[in-house]
Amino acid sequence: MRAGLLTLAALAAAPLVAPAVAAAQERVEVWHAYRGEEEEGLRAAAAAFMRASPDVRVRLVAQPFGAYASKLESAIPTGNGPDLFIDTHDRVASYVAASLIVAVEPADRAAFEARIEPAHRAALTIEGALRGYPLSVKAPALYVNTAFVAGEVEALEDLAALSLPSGVYPLVMEAQSAYWVSGLFGAYGAGLVDEDGGWGLGTDGATRALEQLRGLVEAGVIPRETDGALVARLFTAGRAASAISGPWLAPDLPPELRWRVQPLPIVRGAGGEPMRPYVTVEGAFVASRARAPDGARRFAEFLMLGEGALLRARRARQVVTDEAAWASLEDDAFLRGFRRAARQGRVTPTHPHMRMAYVPADRAIRKVLRGTFGAREALAEGGRRFDDVTRALPAPVEPAWGLLALGLLMLGAIALSIRRLREAPLRAAIKQSLPAYRYVAHAAIAVGLLVILPLVVGAATSFFAGRGTDMYFVGLANYADILSARGGDLFGNGSFWLVLLVTVLWTAANVGLHVVIGVALALLLYRPYLRLKGVYRVLLIIPWAVPNYVTALAWRGMFHFEYGAVNTILERLGLERVSWFASWVTAFGANVATNVWLGFPFMMVVTLGALTSIPKDVYEAAAVDGANAWQRFRHITLPLLGPFLAPAVAMGSVWTFNMFNVVYLVSGGEPDGGTEILVSEAYRWAFTRGNQYGYAAAYAVLIFVILVIGTRLTARAAEARA
Amino acid sequence: MASLTLSGVEKRLGGQPILRGIDLAAQDGELVVLVGPSGCGKSTLLRTIAGLELPDAGTVKIGARDVTHLAPRDRDVAMVFQSYALYPHLSVRENLAFGLKLRGESKAVIEERVREVAAMLGLGALLDRYPREMSGGQRQRVAMGRAIARRPQLFLFDEPLSNLDAALRSEVRVEIKKLHADLGATMVYVTHDQVEAMTLADRLVVLRAGDVEQAGPPLEVYRRPASRFVASFMGSPSMNFVEAAVEDGALVAEGLRLPVPAGRDVARRALVGIRPHDVALADGEGALAMDVEVVEAMGFEAYAHGSVGGRPFVARLEGERAQAVEVGQRLALDVAPGAVHLFDPETERALE
Amino acid sequence: MSAERRRPGALLAELGVHALLLGAVAFALYPVLWVVALALSPGDAPEASILPIPTAPSLRHFEAVVTTTSSEGVWLFGRQLANSVITAVATSVTAIVIATPAAYALARFDFVGARSGTKALLASQMFPGVAAAIPLYLLLNALSLLDTRSGLVLVYATSAVPFAIFQLKSAFEGIPRDLEEAAMVDGATRFGAFVRVVLPAARPALAITALFAFMTAWNEFILAATFLSSEDMYTLPIVLQRYMGEYDAQWGAFAAGSILVSVPVMALFYALQRNLVGGLTSGGVKG
Repeated sequence: MRAGLLTLAALAAAPLVAPAVAAAQERVEVWHAYRGEEEEGLRAAAAAFMRASPDVRVRLVAQPFGAYASKLESAIPTGNGPDLFIDTHDRVASYVAASLIVAVEPADRAAFEARIEPAHRAALTIEGALRGYPLSVKAPALYVNTAFVAGEVEALEDLAALSLPSGVYPLVMEAQSAYWVSGLFGAYGAGLVDEDGGWGLGTDGATRALEQLRGLVEAGVIPRETDGALVARLFTAGRAASAISGPWLAPDLPPELRWRVQPLPIVRGAGGEPMRPYVTVEGAFVASRARAPDGARRFAEFLMLGEGALLRARRARQVVTDEAAWASLEDDAFLRGFRRAARQGRVTPTHPHMRMAYVPADRAIRKVLRGTFGAREALAEGGRRFDDVTRALPAPVEPAWGLLALGLLMLGAIALSIRRLREAPLRAAIKQSLPAYRYVAHAAIAVGLLVILPLVVGAATSFFAGRGTDMYFVGLANYADILSARGGDLFGNGSFWLVLLVTVLWTAANVGLHVVIGVALALLLYRPYLRLKGVYRVLLIIPWAVPNYVTALAWRGMFHFEYGAVNTILERLGLERVSWFASWVTAFGANVATNVWLGFPFMMVVTLGALTSIPKDVYEAAAVDGANAWQRFRHITLPLLGPFLAPAVAMGSVWTFNMFNVVYLVSGGEPDGGTEILVSEAYRWAFTRGNQYGYAAAYAVLIFVILVIGTRLTARAAEARA
Repeated sequence: MASLTLSGVEKRLGGQPILRGIDLAAQDGELVVLVGPSGCGKSTLLRTIAGLELPDAGTVKIGARDVTHLAPRDRDVAMVFQSYALYPHLSVRENLAFGLKLRGESKAVIEERVREVAAMLGLGALLDRYPREMSGGQRQRVAMGRAIARRPQLFLFDEPLSNLDAALRSEVRVEIKKLHADLGATMVYVTHDQVEAMTLADRLVVLRAGDVEQAGPPLEVYRRPASRFVASFMGSPSMNFVEAAVEDGALVAEGLRLPVPAGRDVARRALVGIRPHDVALADGEGALAMDVEVVEAMGFEAYAHGSVGGRPFVARLEGERAQAVEVGQRLALDVAPGAVHLFDPETERALE
Repeated sequence: MSAERRRPGALLAELGVHALLLGAVAFALYPVLWVVALALSPGDAPEASILPIPTAPSLRHFEAVVTTTSSEGVWLFGRQLANSVITAVATSVTAIVIATPAAYALARFDFVGARSGTKALLASQMFPGVAAAIPLYLLLNALSLLDTRSGLVLVYATSAVPFAIFQLKSAFEGIPRDLEEAAMVDGATRFGAFVRVVLPAARPALAITALFAFMTAWNEFILAATFLSSEDMYTLPIVLQRYMGEYDAQWGAFAAGSILVSVPVMALFYALQRNLVGGLTSGGVKG
């Protein structure tokens, strides 16, 4: 309360105080997600700016990329955001919609128009107004290892024809990611979305592009399951004649490697059209609640044109938008190469649906590359997924009905509690409870305020719809939508019911294996005369001690088709390599293996604790009665462990049911969203499907209801048995 | 030291009466044993005295102080628990000193008392051990030591020997008796074991279903049980009971014929109680005819189990002839004079 | 020494047990060793190998992670490590302080609301956190606790409280009432008995509960990344996330950072492993 009042007072006083502070020194907070060279370049530019403008202090704050957008979304409206932030142009539309940024006007309009390409200006223009300062462009280019390729690579097909030493790939690229394949789609005239924001990969061109890509992978021209790190490692190690990558690859390349950069080649199969990758324009944006908008603008202008641009080009190795800067970058082959590559590409559409197209497109590409689906079929299914995600939001409902329902509910609750309070026994009981309340009050307040209240508010958002924070009341429409599988097949791809089925299987498989492995290891460790018991115990607990997002990624690496340890072991054993994420069974198995690994130590420790409480004489009695080891386990250990394991199993089931990290990081829902569980589905609706928080909240509420009912039923069943 | 006075103490738990208006007094320096079967309320009564339970009605006075509503810590009592309740994280020394420390005694006093108690109970070598490192008997001693070190107004014992084996139990029993004599302290002792009750008590209080059934010196209770319940509870093996009719100044039942003891007012029927120890083999026809089913020969004495007129009966016999008793035999038994107890068959109270 | 006489075949069985346990240990360590290998191999060519051994081990990644500095030249890794330690320790202390009395009341007192309160705690564990992040953000904003360690500690501690309460409640239920009653007769108040006798007797459970709360805070990054917005406030998991970019990931640095983050937790597990399994009250009360 106190803090709130102080904030109010500070806000009220701000306009009075602000000019005074500004006169002394304006503090500009700038957020970015740069790392490495780019971060250093930005720092250098900021330092130069502050030397030139001593009345402004720039404070750079590096943000983790993963949380960047959602953080801007929550921070700026509450006044906790930056004054200026750097981001890519394809989010601008949603930032404008959420009023996170203000329109800007360059100080020198003439210079701006003369020195910045129209396409780059257009990328940051929404509804006729310029929304940010274009700084640089990013596009994939072709790195060529000159040891293998002498001149410029003309066509994609030429790479396949290269004669190379064994173990050297003609081309490495992230062939399973729509962003990196966008160049090839572009050669065939296809994009992820069309001009109206519809699915753009349903065309013949897209099908042909994907078929060509599959041909390249199957012919061994491009390695399978390649992520950015693998691209870098293969090219660095001289194991690739060329690589499609971005500027960030260069700093890690060893000095002895001879290479150059050129635009992506043409595609003969597409009639000689060049590959047209998506080009991203990075801009600086003035936040709508900036405390120092003037300083922010000045710094942004400095970064955009002139010295700032040059510094960024030289230090951050960015392809800057300022044409004038390039005069002095004449001899920089690297940057020129990337500039040419960018010019050949096309600016990523700003339509809000664009970001929602990546996941369905990725999944379609992966299915095709793994040979499980035809290109047309996979892209058509991708289109359906995309339509599903971008479907029209439910119509608003008069909130009065919701309020009325809420009001009636609350009145009822109040009336009921008053009636109960009138009853004498309850009043006496409450009076007797007073001493206990002194022990629980602070916990009740803390948990109520910081755990329960946010959950209730979160649950309440499930009655709202919208993309981003701009939401309106829709009543129960989200639930109706989810439970009817959005009008599709009830057990079709991505339907709530199918995902629920997978989640239940997931939970049962994991908890079952946790218990079996945990109990088995505990029994082994519980042998009275076992040597090295302590050492074993410590080593077996390690999976518990490492953060699960780290080991989930390690496991994902171990399931890699080409270099994963699991396939290597299979091969040594004379078995076939398995494309783990190609089929549901193996992908699900990979997820389960990871999560079992994460979870068995908990059950083991719980069991070890429980075993110490089983008296030894019971075993002796059973042994005298003639029970063998199995019978002793079956008829003594297991029933006696039951009461100890039951709560652990209940807890473990709830945790596993909501184990987001493993599913998201290991299989990522592949193949085709089939291994997604309810909570990862909720996460996707909230973050990768256009920030439909209300819809995600409805998933969360359904998860909650299912878990409550599930635990109730099992508890009842257990009581009935006891 | 102080006296203890309970008057009209009542306690209900979940609607069930546990104590039904108990009056009880312990003189200064007296050892009062509360005895009864489990569920009779003896532990609840002890906990009420300690202040661990608050009575629904009645008062508890220690000396002249009304402590009914005081917290346990303000009553100046010490208690030895059945489980010993030693603090597992404290050494024996710290366990003994715990109560003194809480009462703010000086370091010197605490050290002195711990040494004194350790010497008294032979705990000197154990002072630095932890409870988990000791045997049951040693723990029991520490539990007593912890109470003694406190020098409280009143000692409370809640079945302190029930977790010990038989040999140790009788040893410690004697020790407690000695301690009581040495300390001259007022003690309330709860047990379900009638041997402990008989041997320790200055005054015995037999409880049944939340009520005092009989109170008095142990021998008095043994000799003159106020009810069939007390009679059967005190003494081992239990008293035998045979229901008899009064015919011509004699008590008559199948297999039994006894003269009505002088001065007893018996109307028509009575429950005759005879302790196994109070019979002997008769030379002639005897007062009782007993069919023997099992014989436990112990050398000097023998216990014959069987029935009198179809009612189970146990007889303790001694001497040469006792060794010759055989299963299937019908014994003729005499009853020692004055050893016949009579109870009202309806109320089961003793007939005076 | 000769107390342990072995039956024939016992040696074989023992060997079998060791073989099984060694297999399990290999399973447990294998992925972790891959992370270690990745952290130690700067620019290794990818090889399909079975043993996670770096060909040219180097500490370059560790050095890069540890020597990160801010634009003002502040040694960031040190600050961030300090942030993580302070946040995690404060979380664990706060969670224990909040949860312990409540767990004690639930274990010992019968009071109106105990059942529904327990149910609410249990229910809070079932609600996916995804939905609560934004409301929490608004709440912390209202309390002016964004971008502060206290705010983060408050959120972590309260989210750790429900589980801590369950954990401690069952630990307290395992401690005989006699102990407190003895203390009360010996002159302690109810609260005094709780503090002087029950808490020490529940030390193993307290240690483990504290460890769990510590881990909640130590490993969390989603809320931290949302609530904190200055680099000198960041905790180590956010720093790790910084190595994952939109187009590329610095795996070597990420792996090196992961190991640095894991080591303290492993050390705590090692130190507390006895408490994980054993109890302390067993000897004090019954024979």
